[in-house]
Amino acid sequence: MRRLGPAVVILLLIPSVASATELSELLEQGRGAGYTAEQVISCSTPDGVRDALVRIEQSGAEIRIGAGVPTGTEVSVGAGGWALLHQGGVVEEATITGSSATVESPYEVEDLGAESFLGRDATAHRLVRDGVLRAELVFDDETGALVRAVTFDASGDAYCVRRFVSFDDQDPMLPMKEPSTLSDVSPVEPVGTTFPESVTGFSRVDQYEDVDGFRFAYYSDGFFSFAVFEAPTRVALEEVTTVTFGDRSYQRVFTAGQAIYSWETRNRGMALVGDLPPDLHQAVLEALPAPRDPGLFRRIWRSLFG
Amino acid sequence: MSHPSEMISAFLDGELNAQEAAGLKAHLGSCGRCAGELEEFQRVRSAVRSLPLLELPAGLVSGADAELIPLRRHRGVMVGAAAAIVALVVAFAAMLTPPSPTVSIDDLSSRFGARVSLDPAFGPAKVVVPDWETEGIEEE
Repeated sequence: MRRLGPAVVILLLIPSVASATELSELLEQGRGAGYTAEQVISCSTPDGVRDALVRIEQSGAEIRIGAGVPTGTEVSVGAGGWALLHQGGVVEEATITGSSATVESPYEVEDLGAESFLGRDATAHRLVRDGVLRAELVFDDETGALVRAVTFDASGDAYCVRRFVSFDDQDPMLPMKEPSTLSDVSPVEPVGTTFPESVTGFSRVDQYEDVDGFRFAYYSDGFFSFAVFEAPTRVALEEVTTVTFGDRSYQRVFTAGQAIYSWETRNRGMALVGDLPPDLHQAVLEALPAPRDPGLFRRIWRSLFG
Repeated sequence: MSHPSEMISAFLDGELNAQEAAGLKAHLGSCGRCAGELEEFQRVRSAVRSLPLLELPAGLVSGADAELIPLRRHRGVMVGAAAAIVALVVAFAAMLTPPSPTVSIDDLSSRFGARVSLDPAFGPAKVVVPDWETEGIEEE
């Protein structure tokens, strides 16, 4: 896997839209907090363990997330959106706007009571969907920050554990990013797309189309989420695992916290990127356009020109 | 050596061995008639080669006679046909395949990460991590 860093993502949090009252209330608690923390992410995926260590700085509604590996070759930044940096220089960036559509969360929230985390008072909760435990969340009482989150596969096995390993509740006072340098990416209604309105309990919240000619739709169930991409070309993944669901074959990569699938339809490249547990992958993929042989001419073209 | 017209023709066709060729070259250097004949052969040969190749109508020659058509003409037709087919395939592929930008995992992850950050379910502990790798992480 290619090593990138120090990846920095500045994420501007827009005021909450909607989710189940209890869950959204919990998640809202920490939005105004100011702190600096280090977080370990460890995911047990079907393709092996994926780990990462990130540094998080939150000040008000803005969050900066940086990788712990300072190779300085490539950076991904968002400031209410995203940007790609190369050796410190911005090569591409854009703001992104979410729609005001609401997602009816199917999760029940169970209170697990008080506990101590990193020597601080905290409260634990459990998210259950359709009788299946899907997440355990621990919130810092003073700041409301989500300091530990464990997501589960349907079998009850932990999928990803994200937890703070250091926590400083001093506000880091993040510098403001210049919004004028960013181009806008707002929800659109792309013509001729094949994004279904809902996919096995996930609702299509909004969809986007950019100047590069690829489109994506964002799906959420109120906690887990994924994006489905349509690209004019094949999506290039490195060090992939080929997986088959029924008669459908996909290329897959896991990172710490994300699963990425890519495949081709007759005339488009497709990809799915999301944080949903592995047991949900097959059902979601089967609800999307199926992999198809790209055809003779595309294969000839590819063999001639890459 | 008298005037070896047949050897001149064979020489142009590359059919002489090294010893015969050397002997002929020595003769050409001292025989104006044969040297002129060589020039004439070369001129006629060039003129013939510059003529367009025509495909014979089916049935114009019998099957037996058709086998006597020089191999070079067959080869030219085959090369031309192959080139035409390749050109057609490339042209079709070019028409059917639009120019494509590169789409990488980083492009997708950053877009997904940006969008998920706007979602109410996003929290600092539910971070979307870009595609980088860490090693030797020791949890406290």
